[in-house]
Amino acid sequence: MFKNYLKIAWRNLLRNKSFSLLNIVGLSIGLAVTALILIWINFEIGFDQFHEKKDRIYQVYNEYPIDGEIWTWNSTPKIMGPTIKKDYPEVEGVSRYNYEDTFLFSVDDKRIKSTGTIVDPDFLNMFSFPLIEGNINTVLEDVNSVVITETFAKKLFGNEPAVGKLVKVDNADSFKVTGILKDLPNNTGFDFEFLMPWSYLQQKGWNDKNWGNNSIATYVMLKEGINYGDFSKKIKTLRSAYDKDSPDMVTFLYPYTRGHLYSEFENGKEVGGHIDVIRLFGIIAIIILIIACINFMNLSTARSEKRAKEVGIRKVIGAERQALVGQFLGESILISFLAAILALLIVLLALPSFSMLIDKPLSLNIMDIRFWILALGTILFTGVLAGSYPALYLSGFRPSAVLKGTFMKMKSPVTPRKVLVVLQFSSAIILITASLIVTQQLNKVQDRQTGYSKNNLIYSMMEGDIEKNYMLIKEELLAAGIAESVTKTNSPITESWSNTWGFEWKGKSEDNMTLVHRLIADDAVTKTLGLEIINGRDFNLNAYPTDSTAAIVNESMVELMNFEEPIGQTVKDNGIEWRIIGVVKDFVMNSPFQKVDPMVIEGAKAWFNVIHIKLNQDASTKESLAQTEIIFKKYNPEYPFNYEFVDQEYAKKFDDEKRTGQLVSLFTLLTIFISCLGLFGLASYMAENRIKEIGIRKVLGATVSGITTLLSKDFLKLVLISLCIAIPISWYAMSQWLQEFAYRIDISWWIFALAGILALGVAFLTVSYQAIRAAKMNPVKSLRTE
Amino acid sequence: MLLQLNNIFKWVNSGGQRIFLLKDINLEVEEGEFISVMGPSGSGKSTLLNVIGMLDTFDEGEYNFLHESVHTLKEKHRANLYKEYIGFVFQSYHLLDDLTVKENLEMPLLYKKFKGSERKAIVADMLDRFNIVGKKDLFPSQLSGGQQQLVGVARALVANPKLILADEPTGNLNSQQSEEIMQLFKKLNEEDGVTIIQVTHSEQNAAYGSRIINLLDGRKV
Repeated sequence: MFKNYLKIAWRNLLRNKSFSLLNIVGLSIGLAVTALILIWINFEIGFDQFHEKKDRIYQVYNEYPIDGEIWTWNSTPKIMGPTIKKDYPEVEGVSRYNYEDTFLFSVDDKRIKSTGTIVDPDFLNMFSFPLIEGNINTVLEDVNSVVITETFAKKLFGNEPAVGKLVKVDNADSFKVTGILKDLPNNTGFDFEFLMPWSYLQQKGWNDKNWGNNSIATYVMLKEGINYGDFSKKIKTLRSAYDKDSPDMVTFLYPYTRGHLYSEFENGKEVGGHIDVIRLFGIIAIIILIIACINFMNLSTARSEKRAKEVGIRKVIGAERQALVGQFLGESILISFLAAILALLIVLLALPSFSMLIDKPLSLNIMDIRFWILALGTILFTGVLAGSYPALYLSGFRPSAVLKGTFMKMKSPVTPRKVLVVLQFSSAIILITASLIVTQQLNKVQDRQTGYSKNNLIYSMMEGDIEKNYMLIKEELLAAGIAESVTKTNSPITESWSNTWGFEWKGKSEDNMTLVHRLIADDAVTKTLGLEIINGRDFNLNAYPTDSTAAIVNESMVELMNFEEPIGQTVKDNGIEWRIIGVVKDFVMNSPFQKVDPMVIEGAKAWFNVIHIKLNQDASTKESLAQTEIIFKKYNPEYPFNYEFVDQEYAKKFDDEKRTGQLVSLFTLLTIFISCLGLFGLASYMAENRIKEIGIRKVLGATVSGITTLLSKDFLKLVLISLCIAIPISWYAMSQWLQEFAYRIDISWWIFALAGILALGVAFLTVSYQAIRAAKMNPVKSLRTE
Repeated sequence: MLLQLNNIFKWVNSGGQRIFLLKDINLEVEEGEFISVMGPSGSGKSTLLNVIGMLDTFDEGEYNFLHESVHTLKEKHRANLYKEYIGFVFQSYHLLDDLTVKENLEMPLLYKKFKGSERKAIVADMLDRFNIVGKKDLFPSQLSGGQQQLVGVARALVANPKLILADEPTGNLNSQQSEEIMQLFKKLNEEDGVTIIQVTHSEQNAAYGSRIINLLDGRKV
């Protein structure tokens, strides 16, 4: 019997090739998209979850009310870690984690830059980064010991054993390789190729015990059996005994396992984080799967009405109802099975590009038993879901009615099928408007005036001897006509690395805690960066040596200080009175999606990390860069010359939003495509069902265009209803989304109009093809069918 | 006696009026009879056949089939009864388009849960008896009307029913094909003792039967 079902199902598939193709392709795209998103979600949920002791690991956070709002952040003083270890016996391990930084490693004449960090020895005992070689308890004991990853060891030493060998770091200190780490898995937020012990930091004199300098991460591992709630109460007031400036600042432990997906705080409460994006795309995945299933159901029922006769015959020759239900279910499960195979193929083919698109190293583990259970479950679920309606509906027919051909079609105004079409098109319209708005917002921000000139501007980190030889490099670049202007700063123009609410000026109120950004530049900063001076002048150390304690502020800063004439006033920072000599127009240094914060550009009497070079406009960039490299090599021979183009770095600020835009557009296209497949199928069955009516109308004198309109009208009505449902939902949702950006577009009515026209147009094209075909049919033929 | 209809009424309500499809029908059929039902279009021939075949219900009256009171039976029992004893032949053949001739013949046996070997034997026997062995792997669309109806008759007989109900079995056939099908019915009736009730418009076909029932507006005349 089963074999017979299968045979009939298979022949049915083959006989209705276009229908089957429509059904299988539509469903498989839906399944594939869902699978891709599930793989992604699975990756994100598993992120940083592989540590064996993860449930006991916490990151130290701080909480402090500023301007009536509670701020939460996770950087701590360097002294925090040792203090916790000393004062709280409940703690098993503590590790500080310095900012990941790039160092130059040299072995013989091999020089390789590598990113890594400095940690406490407990680090390897807390986190599961297994050692291939070396003793976990002693590898980070000595000051000059370094643990490196397998790949990095290969790069440095080739295939020779690395443990015990010496490497030189930054041309200064020799380190002994004491251990080899397994390469980091790709689902961790940590990023290092080497680890050095904290004692090295101490030896270099980079350590400090200042409770006000919150600059590193601190991780804590509680002993087994310690109650988190009790311990939280204990550690809350940690600062009161040590931190004289802010004794009320609250210290709390945040579960490490929540770090990746949550860890966003608003007024002291956890409000989500990365999980929001995942939820959003999770919802999109479900919508697309539902749309695909709806299609499947719609097409199957539409088609199975044609099979009413078959049901009648089968009943007459002895089929029980169960047998018929089984047959129809079997057929739909077969289709969903075929669709699943195709979907798997699509997933395997699309996974690499999808990984690239979302910039996450995704992979599909075919050996995972959960994958197969899920796949099988999905096949059965969609098969039964889609097959149950036709199965139950059709198997209930009385044979005498269907065989006589007087079988009545449903005529009620609200059929489930219409509801399903409306659901589909509402989703499609919501997605269309969403992708239009995301794109528009992105364009607006990309077109935003940055307030500085990105052309021919490059920057390079000051490494090795660059700082020492800075003046020589600068002179030579200017003398050779390679550069128009050179300025050293504390951070690249594309990101602010320093801010404080500690600036003081005349008339500043006590409770004003507005964050002010701090840029530091030595000379000719507005010339190099192309800032627009609206008052006063640029730094000019040659003409005015006292400019080393001068400052230039931006418009927002002027507004904050509320000076009528800012020139000549002073702001105090780090114990220096900075004299304001110029005001520049606001320029975008942080997120271009947000408003520009107040900023002070301090003069040469501070610290520097970056060198900005404005290349000569008239020379070829390639040539200039080559010459620049020669000069850098001359004064800093140990280091390779690395530089970034400011315009490229600036473009990276849009990566996240661009990705969101691309993903939403992709899913929109797929949704429209699947919906249209369904509509196409439905329209063709509708045309077939009304073939007699069309014949009669034609005999009575209806024109082709009249009939096409008649047939299309019903579907277009459904799309219009969808539009009415979709617009408010999408308007609300997108307004919420735009709230995140201070610099944003207003949602205009034409977006919805455009989405409506698009949806109607696509629907009309889809339906009218079938309608015209039906309308052109010879009535003699269609009226004879019986 | 095979079946007996007593005072059968069937009606539909349309526009506040009761329209009778069958009106006071009394009929007794003995085993081995060959009955032709005749009458103009809309006189209730097909309805009567469907009632006898238990595909359709009636509103009033009694119907006994092999000493079972059909009117008191539940739907499911009724279905079992007709599956067991009745074979149907239709004007438009109603073969399953997706199945070959052989598979079409096998289908009723599958639903009756015959064993595989048994099915094969019975089907082979049928194919042989109807002289369609050469066509067993063809699909209905590849056969002529007469051949399709031949398969239809064979399928009706395959489960060895006591009664064959044929609703204008030759309505779609030309005269030569009609002749063949009618000869076949006659032979089945005479040699195998199968009871046949056919609906027909043609005097000529009706003449093959042993008795003619005339209907007019749902009434026996």
